[in-house]
Amino acid sequence: MDKNLSSEGERKTNCAEQSKCFQLLESILDGENIPDGDKILKEKLEKCQPCYKHFHLEMAIKELLKTKCCHQITPRDLLDNIRKKVQEIK
Amino acid sequence: MSEVQRKKYSDKEKNHIFDQEFMPHIDSMYNFAYRLTFDEDDAKDLVQDTYLKAYRFINSFEKGTNAKAWLFRILKNSFINDYRKKSKQPAKIDYQEVETYYNSDDVDYSSTTDLRVDAVKDMLGDEISNALNSLAVDFRTVIILCDLEGFTYEEMAKILDIPIGTVRSRLHRARNLLKDKLRSYAQTMGYDTDEEE
Repeated sequence: MDKNLSSEGERKTNCAEQSKCFQLLESILDGENIPDGDKILKEKLEKCQPCYKHFHLEMAIKELLKTKCCHQITPRDLLDNIRKKVQEIK
Repeated sequence: MSEVQRKKYSDKEKNHIFDQEFMPHIDSMYNFAYRLTFDEDDAKDLVQDTYLKAYRFINSFEKGTNAKAWLFRILKNSFINDYRKKSKQPAKIDYQEVETYYNSDDVDYSSTTDLRVDAVKDMLGDEISNALNSLAVDFRTVIILCDLEGFTYEEMAKILDIPIGTVRSRLHRARNLLKDKLRSYAQTMGYDTDEEE
């Protein structure tokens, strides 16, 4: 078996351009407009284990951040105070 | 924030912009302010100051452009110029020190972690929130702007007054630091972080 393939023989276990690939994957994950982004992503996830692992870990962390760190409750008096102060400077 | 056109809005237009374009972002603004200051009163002051500045300088805002990014930029500047000087917070590592340590925008993206996806998915809110809060403010800021608020790299560059390349590299460094923190949590949760998936 090729030493550069994962045990399932589906993905290579080493990425020759890891630095470049990880940067690209993070940009795609962040919604940056990368030409042929979908195609590149599909290919990397299908063929490269380090890319597959990096992308899914980054995605899991991003989702966790979004679901767990966005719900600070805005104090009720803040909005009223802002409106009051704005009236004063008008 | 364009200064090319300095339109004079009528009072009615000002109120409309303020209510329709600025106020809908108050929850995101408060969340950002709270995660910068870690103090409810300071966060309220910071958001209030930001909205008052936004109203005062409303003529430099162009209707229909990205109000959220404009407001975030004002809040970030207020935090740096006003709040940080009088911060009650104990001193944390300043980004300049960190930047000097790394001394470059060139980031090696090839560093890997043995943190596993299933360990991350099992984490409760406290772990990720504490990990985020423990980062130095400039690293915390890029994660908030990108992952919590969904700003593009270009928008982040404008909010932070830094080149896009620096946004990208700072974000990557921030994520590596966050993963280090999460890895420690994963180990305390009993996940074997050394095994491959």
